[in-house]
Amino acid sequence: MNNKFITEPASGVETEVVPVRGRVVKSKAARNLLTFMMVFGPGLIVMVADNDAGAVSTYSQAGAQYGTHLLWIVLLLLPVTYFIQEMVVRLGIATGKGHAAMIYQRFGRWWGLFSLIDLQLVNFLTLVTEFAAIDLALNKLGVDPRIGVPLLAAGLVLIAVTGSYRRWERIVVFLCMLDLVWFAIAFRIHPPLEQIVRGSLIPVMPPGGLTPDLMFLVIAIVGTTVAPWQLFFQQSCIADKRLRFADMKWARLDTFLGACITITVAGCMMIAGNASHVHGFTFTDPAQMAVDIGSFTNGFFKNAILLMMINAAVLGTTAISLSSAWAYGEVRGWPHSLQLPVRKAPGFYVVYLVSVAAAAGLVLIPRAPLQLIILGVQVLAGVMLPSAIIFLQLLLNDKELLGEYANKPWNNWVNWTIIIVLFILSLILAAQVAAPNLFPAA
Amino acid sequence: MATMTNPIEMQELTNHFVVIHPLDDVPEEKVDTETLGPMTMTASVRISLLSLRAYLVLMMILVFYHVLDLAGLFGHHS
Repeated sequence: MNNKFITEPASGVETEVVPVRGRVVKSKAARNLLTFMMVFGPGLIVMVADNDAGAVSTYSQAGAQYGTHLLWIVLLLLPVTYFIQEMVVRLGIATGKGHAAMIYQRFGRWWGLFSLIDLQLVNFLTLVTEFAAIDLALNKLGVDPRIGVPLLAAGLVLIAVTGSYRRWERIVVFLCMLDLVWFAIAFRIHPPLEQIVRGSLIPVMPPGGLTPDLMFLVIAIVGTTVAPWQLFFQQSCIADKRLRFADMKWARLDTFLGACITITVAGCMMIAGNASHVHGFTFTDPAQMAVDIGSFTNGFFKNAILLMMINAAVLGTTAISLSSAWAYGEVRGWPHSLQLPVRKAPGFYVVYLVSVAAAAGLVLIPRAPLQLIILGVQVLAGVMLPSAIIFLQLLLNDKELLGEYANKPWNNWVNWTIIIVLFILSLILAAQVAAPNLFPAA
Repeated sequence: MATMTNPIEMQELTNHFVVIHPLDDVPEEKVDTETLGPMTMTASVRISLLSLRAYLVLMMILVFYHVLDLAGLFGHHS
């Protein structure tokens, strides 16, 4: 049989159209469930990978310093993260192209280049923090990072180069599910339920008032919960998976479920940080926190937290490196799809490989202040976020491009509110850094 | 559940539902972005984006400064 050849907009290469292969089911419920299972993936992965090593550090530090007082901020970020990623879902499904490609096409080379440089800079720094966390965790597990880090880096490359999107997605969804261990960890350390409910639902200023350190941490929390790479990653992932217009509602559900999981897990990380503080430990980094928690629970929980740190870093690394590789491929016009073997998309895989290898190599430099680097990168992501969202907002209001999928007025109200709040937060940080005594402690 | 490979056979199934994985489906037509070209931007939008760019550069410098300050490089952070 002679099959037709077409050029895929997502990957930029000619591919063979093979006869469709479907599954036959006998009820609407089974159809809906199966369709969801097939569409499910990009939303869950982008959200759970967002709880990367930097997130583990930031949330646990927030819990250790401010107890359950900042839980309401995390809860508030649930609709924020969902609304932003939902826009990406619409853009990805409607155009079948990645975010970097859209910025280049609709804003031109100049703005496209800026967006790409911003993305690659924050992505690279974030990748360094992922491996920094792996380094910390391996040390506490008694594994030599000089062996463990390269091995994990090699594993990260291997899961991406199989030439099958589905294979990569299945492995990564499995790793996402492992994140649920955080629930067991939070449960085991006997969380103060009343404090948690109060901290989640009643916004209060933590003891000590509005200090630069608190502001820094709040922006880091925002920066780690809604990061610029997520916009690029999910849109490219949707394009690579070739989601269809009919998949829209399932892709939204996927994103919403992912957002719920990531926010709940973030809360568990804060609770873990709080527990170590309550037992009199001073927070230095999450690996040390795991050791501290192990001292009043048992060794299993110490190892569980350390392994969860590594898992978070692995998830973050694969997603962030892919967002870099997809963006680069889209902009340069290279073939860029996980469906392609290495020989057909060498540039795409080289960017992925270089991203992973360079970051892995850097963290093996001894005596770097890893926790500070991690927090600093989250803050940088936080201050760069409004800029990334503004481009997204402009694209989503582009009726010529999106037609009926363009933003409705209520979408714009929500998004501009998010952008304004993010700007205010970064301006407060700027004011506090420039004039530290502007907001004296209470 | 059965696996189907022939689209014609699938159309004949009226009492059943066929679910196709996006990667196994025939690629659907998307918005044609190639012919659209760059978005028309008013002068105010251009100025706003340029201001945003300048703000972002300043904020990045500020964050780097603050991180170095926290690391004790300037020797006055408690």
